[in-house]
Amino acid sequence: MEMKKLLNDSKKLASQYTTWVTFVGLLLLLSVLTKGNALRWNSIRNLLIAESVRSFAALGVGMIIITKGIDLSIGYVVCLTASVAASFAQNPDYASAIYAGQSFPLIVPVVAAVAAGGLFGLFNGYLIAYGKLPPFIATLGSMSIAKGLQLIYTKAAVVGSLNQNFKNISQGSVGPIPNLIIYVIIAAFIVWVVLRHTRQGTNFYAIGGNAQAARVSGINVERELMMVYTYAGILYGIAGTLLASRLGLANSLTANGMELDAIAAVTVGGVSQSGGVGSVSGMMVGVFTMGLINYGMSFLGVDSYYQQLVKGFIIIVAVYFDMKKYARRS
Amino acid sequence: MESTFALEMESITKVFPGVRALDGVTFRVKPGTVHALMGENGAGKSTLMKCLFGIYKEDEGTIKLNGEIHHFKDSHDALQNGVSMIHQELSNVPERSVAQNIYLGREPLKKTGLIDHKRMNEDTKELLKRLEIDIKPDCRIGSLSISMQQTCEIAKAVSYNSRVVVMDEPTSSLTDNEVAHLFKIIRQLKAHNVAVVYISHKMEEIFAIADEVSVMRDGKMIGTYPVSDLSNDRLINLMVGRDANLRFPTVKSSIGEEILRVENLTALNSRSFKDISFSLKRGEILGIGGLVGAQRTELMEAIFGVRAIREGKIFIKGEEVSNITPRKAIEHGLGMITEDRRGSGIFPLLDISTNTSIASLKEYLSKIGLLQHKQLKEEAAKYNEALRTKTPTMETLIQNLSGGNQQKVIISRWLMTLPDILIMDEPTRGIDVGAKYEIYQIMCQLVEQGKAIIMVSSEMPELIGMSNRVMVLCNGRCTGMLDKQQCSQEAIMRLATQFM
Repeated sequence: MEMKKLLNDSKKLASQYTTWVTFVGLLLLLSVLTKGNALRWNSIRNLLIAESVRSFAALGVGMIIITKGIDLSIGYVVCLTASVAASFAQNPDYASAIYAGQSFPLIVPVVAAVAAGGLFGLFNGYLIAYGKLPPFIATLGSMSIAKGLQLIYTKAAVVGSLNQNFKNISQGSVGPIPNLIIYVIIAAFIVWVVLRHTRQGTNFYAIGGNAQAARVSGINVERELMMVYTYAGILYGIAGTLLASRLGLANSLTANGMELDAIAAVTVGGVSQSGGVGSVSGMMVGVFTMGLINYGMSFLGVDSYYQQLVKGFIIIVAVYFDMKKYARRS
Repeated sequence: MESTFALEMESITKVFPGVRALDGVTFRVKPGTVHALMGENGAGKSTLMKCLFGIYKEDEGTIKLNGEIHHFKDSHDALQNGVSMIHQELSNVPERSVAQNIYLGREPLKKTGLIDHKRMNEDTKELLKRLEIDIKPDCRIGSLSISMQQTCEIAKAVSYNSRVVVMDEPTSSLTDNEVAHLFKIIRQLKAHNVAVVYISHKMEEIFAIADEVSVMRDGKMIGTYPVSDLSNDRLINLMVGRDANLRFPTVKSSIGEEILRVENLTALNSRSFKDISFSLKRGEILGIGGLVGAQRTELMEAIFGVRAIREGKIFIKGEEVSNITPRKAIEHGLGMITEDRRGSGIFPLLDISTNTSIASLKEYLSKIGLLQHKQLKEEAAKYNEALRTKTPTMETLIQNLSGGNQQKVIISRWLMTLPDILIMDEPTRGIDVGAKYEIYQIMCQLVEQGKAIIMVSSEMPELIGMSNRVMVLCNGRCTGMLDKQQCSQEAIMRLATQFM
């Protein structure tokens, strides 16, 4: 009897915290397979750094999916914002710099990239909220626009030779803790406050759960939708800046496919595609679960072609369970 | 061997975490009878039916059809075996034709393997003719009225040769004429030896159509009775387990100054309401009567700013409010409980607390603009306690509550915004007798506090029993305003059918 109750309780707990259970399970599996080698601080630090930029994209699209939207433009918007940031941070003596001979204060690349991301988000949000375009189509269009703008702006060239100050934004660290990790913690905290402790955050959940009921409850659905895409755009702008800073360059391949990684991560993290469900902790665990899978497979020497395959299956399995969980009760 | 019962559900028990939803329930239905299944919301009727249709798996007990033990995997499996369900909510494919809907998933094929549209339409025509339903097989089902769509679902059940047909609140969106037509069809089913399980909260209907009545309460079967042995009061007594001799509480409010005035309101959609004017005073319950399609809900939505208007003015407390939106309406002290609880009422995946507080969040912000969760929760709990919402905790998801309790959460939501005017569109639809009376009491308390209520209702007794005045709409036009003395079923009916 005692046993049965214990079993039942742990089953209930497991289903409630699927994301955490998966994460911890993978962690244990990896440590056993590598006899603990994969879990040294150095390795973990590398993992965190590698996933940090993606975290920003995941937080942005996570909020969007909570409102029952989707954003396919992430990869190219991050690519564009990374290029914009990089273009204002090139060494002035670099002959092929976009603004050759000119140097800008450190704030310029950051503000320019965040503004570019924010504007793109606003554009997406406007099309979806007021133009009533389905999010899938609106962001599919803006994805191509972002790609085009990036190519036009950089003339399809690599934006390289970035100054050290700019590179230090991402590459520096505070004691043993890399700057990037600190940025992620701050961003996650802010998004958590917005979702959990502001009226707007509650409105996002309400809109995703039942947009018509939200309207009747006095929520300005259009404005909130426009805001959620704008917030996400700002996060993509930050992601672009950090990515350019970390890599020391930006080109047209930067951040390609990031939309898939981000959407997959938050889905694995329990943000439901049916809208109205999800948490910041889930999103972050999702990001690191996906990171762990990538990293673990590399560590174990799995061919990168197979990594793609495994990732694909993981996304499908995660959504399968998500749908089972929420579809049944409707 | 032929069994005496078409359907036998023996000692069904179903336990959910924390709740014994069904406790050894036995339910037997004879062929060729209409068997009413009654009980308050949460009594276990829906759970019992969900066990029958395989949506839930019963923990104990057996289900027999014509004496043979069956367990259905899902409702489709049940349908194949002659057990069908007519839902409260329609489940058809609106963009397809009547025939296509009836033959969905089993379209007759030609030898080539392509769909035989001609035969499908002819068979449907035959079927509809047999049931005396006047619909063309090839018209798009979404273009029909709700009641006609429902009739098509019954036709579909008949076409599957169903031996047991379960109807869950089939008349909730029907007018009296349509109910009469439905009853005619039910009697035909009876004549074909079909067993009909009829779930409804409307007493008049039970006495008009049922042969036997089974009453459930708190997950238990109280008993099965021939309808001739029951009276209205006795039945209510069995359902609620206490005396409920009064159907409507007396409204003891005093009428105050005008609080809402609507002048010449005309919908943007030219087929909707036209030129509606009325005024509402503090302490008053204004009933809105009319048939389905009279544009009552549309009028309410326009006043609340959900629907666009072409012309007309709305004055709240003497002040003209132009370009009204739900947000403006709430700021001016309006609240609206919509007719479609699932579609525009509840947030299914949010908890009771959030569902209650969602329209009043801005009153509970700290100095730096963050939500004060503790106060929100306490306040939401207070309103739900006052309305006696039955829920395990305030963190329970609203989708896990029964319809009546969901409705109480929605009412709590609007009471929490401290409204002066509450629009209640079909406030007691799909709600059991006990909870209905409680909602009437809440309405009385509100008007006694000097608030005003506009109540749209398709239930005549409710309209007459609760309203100070009744405005009747027909085809989008106001055909009359009846005060308490003039108000009778006949008078309302006459006005409601004036332009038919």
